[in-house]
Amino acid sequence: MAPPPACFRYPVHVPIHRLADQLVNQIAAGEVVERPAAVVKELVENSLDAGATRIDVEVVGGGLDAIVVRDDGGGIPQAELALALAAHATSKIATLDELEAVGSLGFRGEALASILAVARFSLASRTAEAAHGWQVGGAGAASGATPEPVAMPCGTKVEVHDLFFNTPARRKFMRQPATERRHVEQRLRCLALARPEVAFGFSSDARRVLEFARAAGTVALEARVNAVCGKEFLTNALAIDEARAGLRLYGWVGLPAFARNQADLQYLFVNGRVVRDKLLGHALRRAYADVLHSTRYPAFVLYLELDPARVDVNVHPAKTEVRFRDAATVHDFMLGAVHGAIRRARPDAEQHRVETFALPARSTGVAGAEDTPRAPPAGGGFSYSAPYRAGLALGRPGAGMGVGDWALADAVRRLEVPADSVPAAAEGDGNYALGRPLAQLLGVYILAENRGGLVLVDAHAAHERVLYERLKRQLAAGAIPSQALLVPESVRLGDDEIERLLAEREKLGRLGFRFDRSGPESILLRGVPPLIAHTDCSALLAELASGSAEGDSRHLFDEALDAQERVLANVACKAAIKANRHLTLAEMDALLRDMERTERSGQCNHGRPTWVQIGMPELDRLFLRGR
Amino acid sequence: MNIVISRGNLLSALQQVIGVVERRQSLPILGNVFLRVSDDQLELRTTDLEIQIGCAVQVQNLAPGSVTAPARKLYDICRGLPEGSEIELQEQEGRLRVKSGRSRYVLATLPAADFPELEQIEGQATFEMPSAVLKSLIVRTQFAMAQQDVRYYLNGLLLEVADKTMRAVATDGHRLAVSEEAVECTSEAGGQYIVPRKTVLEVARLLDVQDATVKLGLAAGQLVMRVNDCTLVSKLVDGSYPEYKRVIPENGDHCAVANREAVKQALTRAAILSNEKFRGVRVGLASGVMKIETQNPDQEEAFEEVSIAYEGEDLTIGFNVTYLLDALNAMNGEEFALEMRGPDASGLIYDEKIPQHKYVVMPMRL
Ligand SMILES: Nc1ncnc2c1ncn2[C@@H]1O[C@H](COP(=O)(O)OP(=O)(O)OP(=O)(O)O)[C@@H](O)[C@H]1O
Ligand SMILES: [Mg+2]
Repeated sequence: MAPPPACFRYPVHVPIHRLADQLVNQIAAGEVVERPAAVVKELVENSLDAGATRIDVEVVGGGLDAIVVRDDGGGIPQAELALALAAHATSKIATLDELEAVGSLGFRGEALASILAVARFSLASRTAEAAHGWQVGGAGAASGATPEPVAMPCGTKVEVHDLFFNTPARRKFMRQPATERRHVEQRLRCLALARPEVAFGFSSDARRVLEFARAAGTVALEARVNAVCGKEFLTNALAIDEARAGLRLYGWVGLPAFARNQADLQYLFVNGRVVRDKLLGHALRRAYADVLHSTRYPAFVLYLELDPARVDVNVHPAKTEVRFRDAATVHDFMLGAVHGAIRRARPDAEQHRVETFALPARSTGVAGAEDTPRAPPAGGGFSYSAPYRAGLALGRPGAGMGVGDWALADAVRRLEVPADSVPAAAEGDGNYALGRPLAQLLGVYILAENRGGLVLVDAHAAHERVLYERLKRQLAAGAIPSQALLVPESVRLGDDEIERLLAEREKLGRLGFRFDRSGPESILLRGVPPLIAHTDCSALLAELASGSAEGDSRHLFDEALDAQERVLANVACKAAIKANRHLTLAEMDALLRDMERTERSGQCNHGRPTWVQIGMPELDRLFLRGR
Repeated sequence: MNIVISRGNLLSALQQVIGVVERRQSLPILGNVFLRVSDDQLELRTTDLEIQIGCAVQVQNLAPGSVTAPARKLYDICRGLPEGSEIELQEQEGRLRVKSGRSRYVLATLPAADFPELEQIEGQATFEMPSAVLKSLIVRTQFAMAQQDVRYYLNGLLLEVADKTMRAVATDGHRLAVSEEAVECTSEAGGQYIVPRKTVLEVARLLDVQDATVKLGLAAGQLVMRVNDCTLVSKLVDGSYPEYKRVIPENGDHCAVANREAVKQALTRAAILSNEKFRGVRVGLASGVMKIETQNPDQEEAFEEVSIAYEGEDLTIGFNVTYLLDALNAMNGEEFALEMRGPDASGLIYDEKIPQHKYVVMPMRL
C-alpha cells in the first residue's frame, strides 16, 4: 500500500465510549424540543393522550422562563412517576404491531425525558383513585428523589422553568420572548382546532390570551373554527365532507377569492395530528392550481381520518410528518374532494340572496338608528363570491344555448347586431342564475338583474375564465400535436424512471411528448407539445418521471397538462375582452350564459372574483326601506 | 461643449445608436448617449454593456468637450423639431442646453468620464464585404432564431467562417435556416461565432444603407462591425451551437417544385382555420398537386390544392404553418423546391437556383 500523502495525518486515537444518559437526552432534546412552542406541543399532546377535557397553558417570558401545563386527564400513578421521566418509557405502545397502528399522539416515550434534559422540571399528578397528588422533579436530569405528596385536583401538572439553562448554545438561538410567545400561541390554535371537544386556555405573563370553550358537534366545530380562524373564513369557505375507500375528509376550503398572501391559514390534521405533509400539500396546491395565482395561498381547515394502520407517524423527530402506506390513493382522494368542491362553486342565485353579501352589521345598525340617510359603505360593503356553495347544481344548464358561442371573433361580429336585440331565449325569463343583462357600467362591469336583485360581473375576468376553460377542454380532448425536434434531446434518467415513462409512452404521446429509450440511463426526446416548446422540456420530462415516483402515473399526466394549462391561462388573459370595450346586450347575455355553463366561473385565472350579487335586502337597506 | 448641427444630421446619427438604449435599465447612465466634440466631428455612442454603437457626424464646433445626456429624450426632441432646422447643443453647468429657433430645452447630464466603453479585442479575423451580402445573410435566416428560449445559445445567430465562405445559421430547435455567401478574408480564418439576437437586429438596421462596404471583425467573444461612420461592438454568446449540419437532409426522395407565391397564398389562407395555438396544417404531395388541409377545434376546415411539379408516391406530413410561411417569405425566387422524406423526418425548402440558402422544417404530429 502506498504511504499516505504528506499532508495526511492520523487523528489521535480516542477510545470509543458510551455517552452519559443526560448527554444522550440532551442530544435527543435537540430534535424534540427546539423551542418553547415545541415543549408546549409535547405537553399538550400528553394531556390529550391522557383524555383531558380541559387544558390550561401558561407561559412566562414567551416560555423561556416558565411553561406550566395543567390538565384534568387520567394522571399518572405514584409508582410510575419516576419512570415517566425516563427516556424510552411510555405507556402508549409495547410492541411493533402497536407502533404500526398507533392512535395516540405520543409513542416514543421521549418527550418528558428530553424536556427534563434541558430545563428545570417538575411533574405533579393525581389519578382518580389517589387521595392526593405526587410530585417529582429535576434539573437537567431526574433528581432520583422519591415522589413527594402534594395537594392538587385530579390530573397532571407539568412545570418547566429556565428552558435551555444548561445548553447555552441553544438558548442563544431563541428569539425575543414576544416572538416565542407567538409561536406558542400559533401551536395552541392548531391543537385547539385539532381537538374541538377539549377546552383550552392560554395565558402569557399572567395575561389571558386564548380561551376556547369545549365544543361538540358540527355547530360547535364551526364555533371553534370561527374562534381560531376568524369569522370571515367560514363565510368564504366551501364545506367538504367526503368518504371513500376507508378515507374521510371533512372541513372547509377557502374560496379562491379568499386566498391569502401567506400560508397562514392552512390547517391540516391527519387523525387529529397536526401535520405538514408534502404529498397532501401537493394535492391541495393542484386542486387550486388553476383558480389561484401562484403567489397566493389558499386557506383551509381539513381533517383527514383513516385507519391508523394506514399511516406511519414514526418518520419525523417532531412527529409533524407522516407517511401513507398507499400514498397515491390518499393523494387522489384529497385532490378529488377539494377540486370537486372548487369546481362545483358555480353561480347559484338562490344561495346568494339568502346567505351572502349582507352589509356589515355596523352600517345596518347605524342606518336604523339615524334618520338621515348615510352614504352607502364604500367599496368593501359587500363580500365577494361567497355565494358559491359546494354541491349545488346549476338551475338551468344550457338554457341560453341559442345565443351561440362566445368566441372572440363572434363577439366582434356581434358588435354589429343592434343593441336592443336581446335574445329571445332570455326574454321574459328571469330564471337565469346570473340574470338578464341591463347595461355596461363604465366599460368594465356588466349590470344584470336576477331574482335576487342586482348582479355585477367583471366582463374581462369572466371572459378570461370562460376562454380558459374552453381552451383546457380542447387540450384535454386529446388534440395536442407534437412538434418534432430538429436535434432530439437526450435526457439522463434513472432506470426506474425510464421504465415508468416507457410504460406510459402512449399516453404521454397524446400529450405531445414523443421519446424513445436510447440507452440504459437515457431517453431521447423527439417531440414536444408546441405550447411549451420554448421551455426546458427535457427537464420537465425528467421532473415528471421523478415526481411520479411517490404517486401513481396519473400525476405524471396532470403535471404534463398543467405545464400547458399555465400557458393557456396566459393566452386566455390576453385574448379576453379588455376594459372599455363596448358590449351590446346580446354580447353581455351570451357571456352570462357562458359563465353559467362554465366550471369554476366564479374566479378569473388569477383568483379574482368574476361576479358579485347585491341582493334586494341589501339594496333596500341602502335606501332605508323597510320590508 | 458647444456645437451647431442640422436637425437632419443629428437625427440620423441618433437613429443609428438609439436601438441599443433599453427603455428601462438599472444603471441610469446606460439611458444616456455619450457625446464628444473634437475638431469638426461629433461622436455619439450608446451601450447596454453587451452592445455598443458609435457613430460620427460633421458639426460646426464652437467649443470642444464631452458629456452624456438622456438618449431617448434627446432623440424625441430632435425628431419633433421642424425639418430643416438648426440645432445648437451646449453644455453648461452640468446641463445640456438644446436650442433651435424659439425652442429651448435643458437636459440633465451625467459625466462623460463615467460612460462605459467596451474594449475592442485584439487579433480578430476581419472580413470585408458589400453591405448587401451581410444583410442578405441576416435577412434570410434571422426569423428562425429562438426567442427567450432556455437554451440561450439558440437566441442568436451563428456565423460560421470557413474556406472564404461565411454561413449564417439560425434555429429554434424546430426549424433551421442556413445561408451562405463567399467573402474576402484578411487571414486564414475559421470558426463559429454566436451573435446575440439583439445584436443581429441592430446590425441589420445599420446595414440599411446603399452600396457601402462592411468591415466585420470576429474574435472569441466579440464582434466588431464598421460601416460608413458607424462602429458596432458586441459581446458574443458564450456557448456551443448545436451540430446543425447533421440535421440538414442530403437528398430527399420526394422532391416537389412549386410556385412560391401560389403556395404562400394557399398556406396563408388555410392558416386562418388552423388551430390558433398549434398552427398545424397537413401538406400532402401527390402526382402534380400539393394539398393543404387543416381544421380547428370548432370543426372548421380548410382545403387547398396547388399545381406543382411532382412525381412520386403520395405523402402527407403535418407542419406548423408559420414555419413554412417564414421560410417562403425569406426567399425571393419565383419557384422553390420542397423535399420531404417521411412523416417523422424533416422537410427541406430551397431555391434550386441558389441552393446555398436552405430551410429545414421539422414536422408536427397532428
Ligand atoms: N399529562 C399526562 N397525563 C397522564 N400521563 C402522562 C402525561 N404526560 C405524560 N404521561 C405519561 O408519561 C409517559 C411519558 O411521556 P412522554 O411524553 O415522555 O412520552 P410519550 O407521550 O409516551 O411519547 P412521545 O415521546 O412520543 O411523546 C407517557 O407515556 C404517559 O404514560
Ligand atoms: Mg408525549
